[in-house]
Amino acid sequence: MHKQTTFDAIVVGSGISGGWAAKELTEHGLKTLVLEAGGPVDPNVDYVEHVQPWAMHFRGFGDRKALERDYPVQRGCYACDEVGHKFFVNDNENPYTNPADAPFKWFRGRQLGGRSITWGRQVYRWSDLDFEANAKDGNGNDWPIRYKDIAPWYSHVERFIGITGAREGLSQLPDGEFLPAMQMTAVEKVAREKILKAFGGERVMTIGRAAILTQNHNGRLACHYCGPCERGCITHSYFTSLGSTLPAAKKTGNLTVRPNSVVAEVLYDAKLGRASGVRVIDANTMESREYTARIVFLCASTIESVRLLLNSKSARFPDGLANGSGTLGKYVMDHHYGSGASGTVPGFTDKRTIGRRPNGIYIARFRNVKAAHPDFLRGYGMQGGSGRNGWGRGGSMPGYGAAFKDSLINDLGPWSLSASGWGETLPNEKNAVTLDPTVTDKWGIPAARIEVRWRDNERAMDRDMMTAMAEMLEAVGCTNVRTHRSNNPPGHCIHEMGGARMSKTQTEGVLNRWNQAWDVKNLFITDGACMASCACQNPSITYMALTARAVSNAVELMKRREL
Amino acid sequence: MERRDLLRATGAAAALSFFGAPRDALAIWSRVARGGAILGGLSEQQLALIGAVADTILPRTDTPSATDVGVPAFIDVVVSENDSDEDRAAFVAGLDLIEARAKATAGSAFAQLAPSARASVIESIEAAQDRRAEPARTYWRLKGLIVHGYFTSEPVMKEVLKVEVMPGRFEGSAPMPVRPSTPSGAHGHA
Repeated sequence: MHKQTTFDAIVVGSGISGGWAAKELTEHGLKTLVLEAGGPVDPNVDYVEHVQPWAMHFRGFGDRKALERDYPVQRGCYACDEVGHKFFVNDNENPYTNPADAPFKWFRGRQLGGRSITWGRQVYRWSDLDFEANAKDGNGNDWPIRYKDIAPWYSHVERFIGITGAREGLSQLPDGEFLPAMQMTAVEKVAREKILKAFGGERVMTIGRAAILTQNHNGRLACHYCGPCERGCITHSYFTSLGSTLPAAKKTGNLTVRPNSVVAEVLYDAKLGRASGVRVIDANTMESREYTARIVFLCASTIESVRLLLNSKSARFPDGLANGSGTLGKYVMDHHYGSGASGTVPGFTDKRTIGRRPNGIYIARFRNVKAAHPDFLRGYGMQGGSGRNGWGRGGSMPGYGAAFKDSLINDLGPWSLSASGWGETLPNEKNAVTLDPTVTDKWGIPAARIEVRWRDNERAMDRDMMTAMAEMLEAVGCTNVRTHRSNNPPGHCIHEMGGARMSKTQTEGVLNRWNQAWDVKNLFITDGACMASCACQNPSITYMALTARAVSNAVELMKRREL
Repeated sequence: MERRDLLRATGAAAALSFFGAPRDALAIWSRVARGGAILGGLSEQQLALIGAVADTILPRTDTPSATDVGVPAFIDVVVSENDSDEDRAAFVAGLDLIEARAKATAGSAFAQLAPSARASVIESIEAAQDRRAEPARTYWRLKGLIVHGYFTSEPVMKEVLKVEVMPGRFEGSAPMPVRPSTPSGAHGHA
């Protein structure tokens, strides 16, 4: 049926980065093969965002026993629930290991569309504050690019996928190509003004910037505010590769997609010094087959791409393909997140919200933007929101009878406002991914062994998130202000980055400024593995921009016959 | 189960499958449609106690009561099929303690008590400062399940809360709806 085994380009992974690689490569006329380890997804059947709680056996509590059996790790993610677990891997088939004293959560989705189906949809541009950070404080290596190199590519991807947001003119959080902003709540509007005033304009609370359509865009419909995006979206109103980039790629006639294709190895031709293709194991039949291409893009997700390279050994690269620098697998990061504060907002009881906004508020980074903070380097952004609990408060509210019931039905309860920090983690050589010497997955591929730890800088920043948010809530006039301290282990934020970092020189990283492997010129890595630092912004939009930029350069090199 | 209910249930199941409902939900629906028991672990007495507590907390007014919308059956599903053995044992033991409190203070099983006596048993349990000590611990878990089961039931979501699955808009500072003058159980909320 599919006899063709040679292509112009192979893309490993069909998620956020892989979809972009596929779109750009095919639109440049390259015959492109996209390999996806998981199965196909049919939005008409598989998306479950409109299933109401009463239609679920456990009313949304989840099938605890089944989840504990098959998804003991994945169930730690909020989206891996009673109906959403289908978009997560079975942990028994997909093991990984970590030292006992270094817990790590690796939340994974193997299906066409990857984690673009379940992602958080928040999109924030990086700035030069981020690209210059490693060079300035000496942690990690200097990025080989600056904001000006990526800015046009941010615009390129934003225009295509459609993102909502409000322009703020902040140097540390550049504005993008925004569709109309979603509304703030009555409480958030007032909170924004009070916080601006209390902190001299330094702390800016803006509406979340999200890859969700607030108006029809590029053939996709505006959001209908049903709420649970992480279960899919029948109208493709938030960005997924499945509903956006992959259809665009398909339209060119240059796309071949092969799901259930577990890539075990990137093949290396020692004579030519190039990647010749990949070896694939059929996820169902376990048959092995090879595909060849002129160029290979790894977009399998940070840890999968690193694992794949580590597992691609040859005489030339005994420690993993393209690992001449010895940095492969090192400097892995995730955002440390979740510490912050919440409070009750007096008043506003004549106001409510209509619709379920799949977005919150964002407080742009304010630490180490101008003045240096005494306790830590770098900074954090804060994400949160406000609302009224409605009947949800009833389970812990005293009372009974007709009046109690009426109150739950007709009074929505007080407004609460809360936010938590998403913090930058310093790149550290010791935070690393290797191959486990004994454990393999269902397909016999060595499992990743992940050792990532939070350190003093992250811990100090967590403490500041609590204090700073409590201060802001007090400035808003909240009562009942309570701080919360996160104990999320690394990986929990699902912003894993690094392991095949970009660098200025061949000796200090895996990739050059075009996401091209220094040691293997026709190999590109454009997922989170390429990141040399992690900033504090949600990273996916940066992967998209880097992917489109890398494809553009690769195509130029091919035209010049340099590839 | 009446034939028209069966048709309604299977019709709903077909609609669910259109939206990709999970098999679990379809299975439970078809079991209900066949008139089969979905109840597993809890005894009739325990379910009677749960129903009586549930209807004291959420009685029938001009909106349905907790038992009207099947709250005890939902709690049975959670306790029988979802709880760990340890949690289920603790819950069942806690139910006995609630029943014991009713017998000690009002002289009979909770379900046999008059409304005012039920109310005073609930008040006495809710008055405890420490919600982690029994029988308050089980009571508050039960109350949480009752409220969740009630407000996530199909009739309440559709007819009482009038939840719009696809609201089509988000308004951040909409006015509260005008309340009718009736003192309780009013219609016409959001």
